[in-house]
Formats: sequence, structure tokens, C-alpha cells
Amino acid sequence: MARVGVFVCFCGANIADYVDVPQVVEEVKRIKEVKFATEYKYMCSDPGQGMIRDAIIQYKLTSIVVAACSPRMHEKTFRKALSDAGMNPYLLEVANIREHSSWVHQKDKKAATNKAMDLCRMAVAKSIANEQLHEISVPVTKRALVIGGGIAGIQAALDIADARIPVVLVERSPSIGGKMAQLDETFPTLDCAQCILTPKMVDVASHPYIELIPYSEVIELQGFVGNYKVKIKKKASYVNFKTCTGCGACWQKCPVKVANEYNMGIDKRKAIYTPFPQAVPNKPVIDAEHCTMLLKGKCGICAKVCDKGSIDYTMQDEIIEREIGAVVVATGYDMWDPTPYEEYGVGRFKDIITSLEFERMVSANGPTNGVPVRPSDGKVPKNVVFIKCVGSRDEAKGIEYCSKICCMYTTKHTILLHHKVHDSHAYVFYMDIRAAGKGYEEFVKKAQVDTGTTYLRGRVSKIYKKGDKLMVRGEDAQIGQVVEVEADLVVLATAVSAPKDNPNLARLLGISYDKYGYLSEAHPKLRPVETAKAGIFLAGCTQAPKDIPETVSQASACAAKVCGLFAGDTMKKDPMVSSINNEYCSGCQNCLNACPYGAIVTEDVAIGHGSKDLRTVAKINEGVCQGCGSCVAICRSTAITLAGFTDSQIINEIVSI
Amino acid sequence: MKKLTYFPGCSAHGTSEEFDSTLKLVLKTLDVELEDIPDWNCCGATSAHVMTENLAYALPMRNLVLAEKLENTTMGIACASCYQRMKVTKVHMDENPELAKRINTTVVEEGTYKGTVDVKSMLQYFYEDIGVETIREKVTKSLAGLKVACYYGCLLTRPKDITKFDSPEYPVSMDQICEALGATATEFDYKTECCGASFSISNTEVVINLSGQVLAMAKESGAHAIVVACPLCQSNLDMRQPDIEKHQGVKYDIPVFYITQLMALAFGYPAGELKFPKHIVPVEGALANIGKILPVPEKVKKPIKAVEAESEDK
Repeated sequence: MARVGVFVCFCGANIADYVDVPQVVEEVKRIKEVKFATEYKYMCSDPGQGMIRDAIIQYKLTSIVVAACSPRMHEKTFRKALSDAGMNPYLLEVANIREHSSWVHQKDKKAATNKAMDLCRMAVAKSIANEQLHEISVPVTKRALVIGGGIAGIQAALDIADARIPVVLVERSPSIGGKMAQLDETFPTLDCAQCILTPKMVDVASHPYIELIPYSEVIELQGFVGNYKVKIKKKASYVNFKTCTGCGACWQKCPVKVANEYNMGIDKRKAIYTPFPQAVPNKPVIDAEHCTMLLKGKCGICAKVCDKGSIDYTMQDEIIEREIGAVVVATGYDMWDPTPYEEYGVGRFKDIITSLEFERMVSANGPTNGVPVRPSDGKVPKNVVFIKCVGSRDEAKGIEYCSKICCMYTTKHTILLHHKVHDSHAYVFYMDIRAAGKGYEEFVKKAQVDTGTTYLRGRVSKIYKKGDKLMVRGEDAQIGQVVEVEADLVVLATAVSAPKDNPNLARLLGISYDKYGYLSEAHPKLRPVETAKAGIFLAGCTQAPKDIPETVSQASACAAKVCGLFAGDTMKKDPMVSSINNEYCSGCQNCLNACPYGAIVTEDVAIGHGSKDLRTVAKINEGVCQGCGSCVAICRSTAITLAGFTDSQIINEIVSI
Repeated sequence: MKKLTYFPGCSAHGTSEEFDSTLKLVLKTLDVELEDIPDWNCCGATSAHVMTENLAYALPMRNLVLAEKLENTTMGIACASCYQRMKVTKVHMDENPELAKRINTTVVEEGTYKGTVDVKSMLQYFYEDIGVETIREKVTKSLAGLKVACYYGCLLTRPKDITKFDSPEYPVSMDQICEALGATATEFDYKTECCGASFSISNTEVVINLSGQVLAMAKESGAHAIVVACPLCQSNLDMRQPDIEKHQGVKYDIPVFYITQLMALAFGYPAGELKFPKHIVPVEGALANIGKILPVPEKVKKPIKAVEAESEDK
């Protein structure tokens, strides 16, 4: 006869305020299999777990029900408490009376209590049919894949590689470096971005444990944690990197000029190019969309001037495969396109630029040698208006969230403007100044004093042209009046937005993303770098807007997670997986289509004992199976059982209410 | 011969009679026959729609229901306010059939609202249904030499989700039509600013101030004249211009044309038929620019050549 112990948690006030916990305890005590039931303020705390451990021994319990928060939160915690008391951890059931009851029925305590009692009754009934299960061991491929070679990907790759774990770093563009490589100086210390980033880029290229695959994209990921197989498409570069010395003869002679992405289109690059002089690898690629040789078969100058014969116009895209055990996704962010702000005349007025364009102009290696100029006439601007929250915090035209970095980089821009053009004056239209971070508020305050910038609290409603000036009209909410500022140049602090390709990448990797396209973490507070899929981690802005210090911290956290995952030779996996009863399996193979993880294959088995004739049945790969139960539901011959969710357990639950 | 259901609105029979009559000339050339809605009524602007929801919707709905009895699928509206009331009602009714059913009970005698007739401003009709190219083909007397500031006001393209036509901030449809007539449309940043609208009577100072800014910016843009497609805009900019000039101490002398007056002129109708004497600000000065050769525009200075990337200097 089963002996069940039930432990009901208050969760502080989270549950107790909306569910009558003592009443739930009294109710479950009436179930005859329940030999012990109690309540506690925080069941997950050490004293709470101690109550479970003690009761298991004292009352000789055979299964445990904890009525508390979601099992996604603390199932592991309570399983460990069972183990510590010498009990098989899978004899635990969690009744989720917080997310499923107290939090969602806050207006009706009686109903919430009734529902909590139902959930407990179901959990008790299910636990009676629980069986002892044992963790599955799977082998681990100790190699990590890092997708994206910006500062997040670089940091994660270096930290993992320093632990002597091989890393495959895949970058879409011809060079690593990402957005940070486009920055001039960084807040709040005004470190030169190039000086702190480029040494790390060189470290990546020379690290014995890092395989850098530039100009490539991940196109397929199969397998499961510890045992992934990735397919990578290496785009044809038309340059043999093995023989190329990066001398530069080819791009000097190339006659085709294309808008330079690195400089935000302010100047031109060639059709054969390296994105910037400090690129890693410092080898050129041919832009197939613009090269006249590849498009029309005419030109061929780069091949003629290359002494090494490194140019190969016949090169094709190549698909390569790697076996890896974990993935760090670090695909960064896009700058939001401000075109919807028609009232600003975006697109009509040349002297309205985005902050990243301004950043390139004031950069020492930028297209104007570090001096900001008006795109319309090349003059150096005196009055510059910076508009914050362009796209951010704007439900009507942009996105709801705060992009987090714009307040700080706009402050930095006022300083850079002041440094480069001494007699200039900056105006900043802002909604709030959000300077939460180490040294950030001090930075903003100092900049305001040093540069004499005029801060105007309010949104800009219109920009129009008067002569060669731009008139910026907005509200100054602090004096309650409409003000107009005559500007030579207007800089829009455009929002940070999720990379456009993130939804595609998320589907390809089997992870989730939010309504904006940012990849979702497993838990917003306690598992901020993991995804819901085991072995896939997130670093940097691909998860949410963040600045460089935060990005680097998250990247290092990813590295720690990967190293932890690879600490043993095998990996433990929950035993809640499906199994096939060959006697019942008719070989219809419907389950193969139902399985979202590709965990089911077929095998041929003897028709009967000693028979030589074979028939086809389904077979589950335990390592791949995630225990979702789709195959169980679709199987017509009830040949499939999911451990921990057997038919008798489910029927018990249903019968109990 | 195309047919179009026509809602003239009250101003077409009064202050903007020149809009109505030149519209009819233009449509004759464009081979479009107008069919008036039998027994049409007031659109409800500007008092009904701030008073009660039912009246605000029921007045336009009665017109829509009556229009559905004609065979045409589109209703063209000259006045911007009428257009606004009719379009808002149509969009809200089509989005919310429950609301349509409720409002319909007020005008049940006229019939059941079906939502089969589309509502367009005449500007939208010219731009979408006739097309800029067709208009260009009908021009017999080019307006080359005339520089115009196209003024749309607040209602013709707004709110964006209701009108779904052109840009709410910087529309270009009227500019393109004027260019097709041979005129030059100036770069005019005040084309959707408010003219002061119906404050003309209750608080004239507002109109003096707001329409004054529109006139100043039109002058600044180098325009000889302003072109509009809204009776209220026309009356504020034209009728109040002497007051504005007195108030600001500036002489503007900018006539304010309806788009249809310029179209009719370009289509070859004699000026005598275009009701120019109805204007407060005389039109002759501006029209005298037609045929004058425009000065060759100054060459736009090229931005200084961006410094070549460092690597290219090697």
C-alpha cells in the first residue's frame, strides 16, 4: 500500500494570500494513502527540505507530493531532497498551485483553494502509480559552437577556449568584431573601442582551441545536448585564404565602388574588400552582388594583380559539418530603421543622420577622419541636435521597450562633438535620462557640465527646413512650451532592435523568441543565459538590448555554463523518455512523423522467438527524446509508454477529480 | 464613360462653389460622369461628431446607405471634412458589424448598411482611379513657370489607419498631379500643419497665427501660389490673408487655388470659366508666371569627397 507525504508551501504570501493553505492540508489528509501532510512558509528553503527528508524516514513514505510553484522552478530542488533521504527522486510529484492557481485566481480565494485541492488530489493519485526511474547517461562531444563574432561571441569563444575546450566560431560577415568594431570610444570611460577590441580579435584568430569560420552561416542543427551536429554554409569568398597574404593590391585596383557597410554607407568600398583595415581575418572577399567579373564575366583585374594567384572566380559555396556539444548564440542586434518618423523628414533631409553614422564620422578611422560633417554640404556643424528615444518607448511608431544604451551613447556623443568641434553646441531632446550603471550617472553629470549641452525634456514633433538649417520643434515639458532649435545637424538615437534573421535562426535551432524577435532565456531571473533547449545559451543583445559590460558578463557566463556542461565525460539526462513495446508495435510509423525531435527511427526485429522472418518496429533514441509525449498520443496500438507519465498515472489523475 | 457617386457637401454650394464647378469641368475632360446621391444630407461635421456617437455615425451612414442604391462602387467627396466623417464611419462600421447594426436602426427607413461603397476624397480619386499619367495626357496648356506649394491640411491623409492614403506627414499625391500639369511643386514642409480650421469664426486669432505660419513657409519655399483640396483650408488661407498680412506686417500676395482650378486651366478651359473673381487674393500675379522660363536651378554642391579608407592608400 502506497504511503504518500504531502507538503504544501505558502511561498511567502504568493500562495498563502490567495489559497487557504491549512484547508488544503486538511483536505489531502482525508485521502487514505496520505500518511503525512504539512505546510510551511518556504518549502524550498533548507528547513523546508529538511521537513521532507525527516518525514520520508519517519513515516516510511513511498512517494512525495510538493504543492508549490511550477516544477520548472523547483522540481530539481525537491528531487534532491528525496535523494538525500535515500528515496528515488522520481517518486516526487509537484502540484503547481502558484502559477496554476494563486497567481491566476487572485480575485476569488475560494475558487483558488478548491483548484489547489484538486491539483493536490491529482498529484497524490498520480504519485501512487509512480515508479522508480534512473537517470540516463549520454556521451558528450566536448566542442562548442559560437554563432556570431561580435564582442559577445568573441568573449564567449575566448573564455571557453581558455578552458581548453575546442570552439567553432561562425561569423556571417568577412570579419569578426561586430558593432563594437564600428565604435569610436566607449562609455563611461571613453576607452578607445578599437584598442580594447582588436587585441581580442587577434587572440581569437591565433588561439589554438578556436576554429574561426568567417563569411559563413549555420544552416542546420541536429541532435541533442552534448551531441549536436551542425551544418555550416561557407559562402564563396573567391579568394584562397591559404595563399592570400592580405597585401591589398586587389582592392586598390578594383574599379567597382560599393557603399561601405562598415562606414554606414558614408563612403565607398570596392567589390573585393576587407570590411576595415583591422579586420580579422585580414583577407579580402569578393562581393558577388557587385563584382563585374562574377556578374558579367568582364574585368578580372584583381586576378591579374594578385602575385599569389589567390583569386578563384569558380569558387562555390561549401557546406561543412562539425560535431559539437553546446551552442552559444551571439547574433547581436540591428539598428532600428527610423523611416516611420516622417514628421522628422527622415530620408528627405540629408543632414539627419543616425547615431551609428555619427559614431563613424567621429571615429579616428572613419570616413571623415574623425570630424563630423553635414552630409549635404560637407560643412562642419556648429549646432547639433540629438534626439533620444527614436523608435524606443514609442508604441505608435516604434517599439515599446527602452533600448537601454541610447542615453549613455548620446552623452558620449555630446562629449565627442565637444572634443572634435570646440565651438559647437549640443542640444539633447530626451524623455528621461536613464543612467543606471557603475559610473554612469557620474559620466552624464560630468558631460553636462564639461560640454555645456542644453538638455530639453520632451519629444520632437517636427523637423523642417529653413534655408540650409533644420528647424527642430519640440516640447520643453519643464517650461510647458513649444521650443524650436536651429540645427546644422540632427542625430537620431535610433532604437536597438532584434536581428531580422533571429526568428529563422530560432526555428533552425529549435529555441523560442519573443514578440520583438529577441531570443528567449529559460528564466528571466534565475536562468538568464540558458534557453529552454538544453545545451543552447545566449550572449549579448540577441537576448535583449544591453551595453558592452553586460554583454561581456553574459558571454563569460555562457562560457561557464558550457564548461560546466562539459565537466564530465558523460552527461546525465532525465529518464522521462518514451519506450516502445515491440509486441504491440504494428510498425505504422506514425510516431516518426509526430516526433518533433527526430528521436524515433525504425528497426527490424524477429517476428517471434527464434523466427528468422523480420518485421519493422519503431525505436526510440533515448538521448534525443525530450519526453514530450507526442508519440504516445498518436500511437494507435498503445505500444508507446512515456516514463513518469504512464497510462495508469494519467488515469489515476483523471479518476481523482 | 466612368461613373462616380458624388457627395458635394454644403460648402460646394456656398463658399467653395469654385471647387465644385471646376471639379465638374475637370471630370468632363477626364470622361467621368458624376451621379449625385439622391436626397443626401449633412455629414455631421463639425458639431455632430463631438456631441453624440449615434448622430456622428448615423448622419454619414444615411448617405452611405443611399449611395449603395446607386450602381457605382466609389463615392467621391470634394470637402475634406465630409470625406473625413464619411470615411471614419465606413471604416468603423466595416470593422465592427455589431456597431453598424446598432447605428443602422436610426436610419432603418433608408435601408440596410452593407458596406459596398468605397469612400474617397477627390484628390485620392484623381491619384488612384484616374492616375497621374492620364492627367498628364489631358494637359493642353502646360502650367510651366508656376511654382506651387501643395497644402493638404490635416484631414486628407489622416489618421493614417483610417484614410490609408499617401503619407500622414509628408504626402506627395497633389505635388505629383501639379507636376503633371507642368507646374513646379516646391519643397514645402508645412503641407500638413493645421490652418486653424473652424476656429476661423469662434477664435480668429488662432487662424491668424496658424494660417500665417503656413503662408510664411509657402513664401519661404518660393511658391507663387498655394494649392489645396479642402474648402476650409482655402477659405482660411485666402479669406484671412489680408488680416494675417496686417497682423504680421508682411505682404504675401499668395493666391490659394483648388487643385481642380489648376487642372481645368491646364486642360485648356478659359480662365473666365474658373471663378477666379471669387478669390479674395487676386490670382493674376501668380498666373502671370505661367510660360515664363524658370531660371536654371543652381547646381547642388556635392558633399566633400569622403576620405578614402586607410587601407586604400597603401
